Amino acid sequence: MNCEDILIQKLASLDGEKTELSIVEINAHLATCENCRREIERLESTALLLGRQQRQAPDADLWPAIEKRIGAEAETTSAVKWQPFILLGGLLVAYKLLELIPERDFGWALKLMPFILVAAIFAFLKENPFRINTELRLEK
Amino acid sequence: MMDDAAIIERCLKGEKEAFRFLVERYQTQAVGHSLAILANREDARDATQEAFVDAFQALKKFDRTRRFYPWFYVLLRHRCYKLLAKKREAENIEDAQILAPQTGVSGEERIALERALRSLSSEDREIVTLKYLDGFSYDEIAELLKIPRGTVMSRLFYARKQLQAKLTGKFH
Repeated sequence: MNCEDILIQKLASLDGEKTELSIVEINAHLATCENCRREIERLESTALLLGRQQRQAPDADLWPAIEKRIGAEAETTSAVKWQPFILLGGLLVAYKLLELIPERDFGWALKLMPFILVAAIFAFLKENPFRINTELRLEK
Repeated sequence: MMDDAAIIERCLKGEKEAFRFLVERYQTQAVGHSLAILANREDARDATQEAFVDAFQALKKFDRTRRFYPWFYVLLRHRCYKLLAKKREAENIEDAQILAPQTGVSGEERIALERALRSLSSEDREIVTLKYLDGFSYDEIAELLKIPRGTVMSRLFYARKQLQAKLTGKFH
């Protein structure tokens, strides 16, 4: 351990922190090193000077500006979320029209199509269609 | 008083107004921290505001078993240093005060310390103020700055040496 390491450890112990070296080891070095003793005194007085100060607590009311920003964000998000459902509606209407074509049998694959489409949309949105929302409330 | 985890829970359920509680709880502390890095009041407010918007957008990623402020502080300092990098060419002229005037501390002493603090690098000023103005422990500073505890010890030592060098001849 050199002088710098000892100084770091000593300052940590003066700050009330755990040190890697024991206090006995640190003090043993300080007892024999006048430079370190002087340096510790200087650094300690700087810390005491700082410790008497308080941080400026500026007046801040950031909420109105933040509210605007996150409000806009939420609106954009909800607008985007409707698009898959519009697509789903379109696809279901197309399916129904296809079904109405007379004398055409597309088999079981087509009959399962609405379920596959709905499942695909919910999987895409990462939403559980069976989730019960207990916090329904009117939006402003 | 509602705790941070409950507020975040409400925000995640879509109640964005609940975020107001977090903003109002931490804005003064956050602007104070930004001010220590940026040394400019307007920039500190802007960076803090941006950091809160970042936090709101990233709330889903927040681990609710942990404390909010240390997580938010990472976003805050990211915003501060980003702004600082932008502003480096255009010199900061404003003399924003980091230290508050108070009884029992002489004005001369505070002004000298304020000058010394302002002459430090943003990183040194940040770590010194976190330790000696906020009273955070080394472990807490390590958590806030996302650096190992040993690095906190050495960075704090060098920052203190810098500060002491700036103050030499004034109070020693």
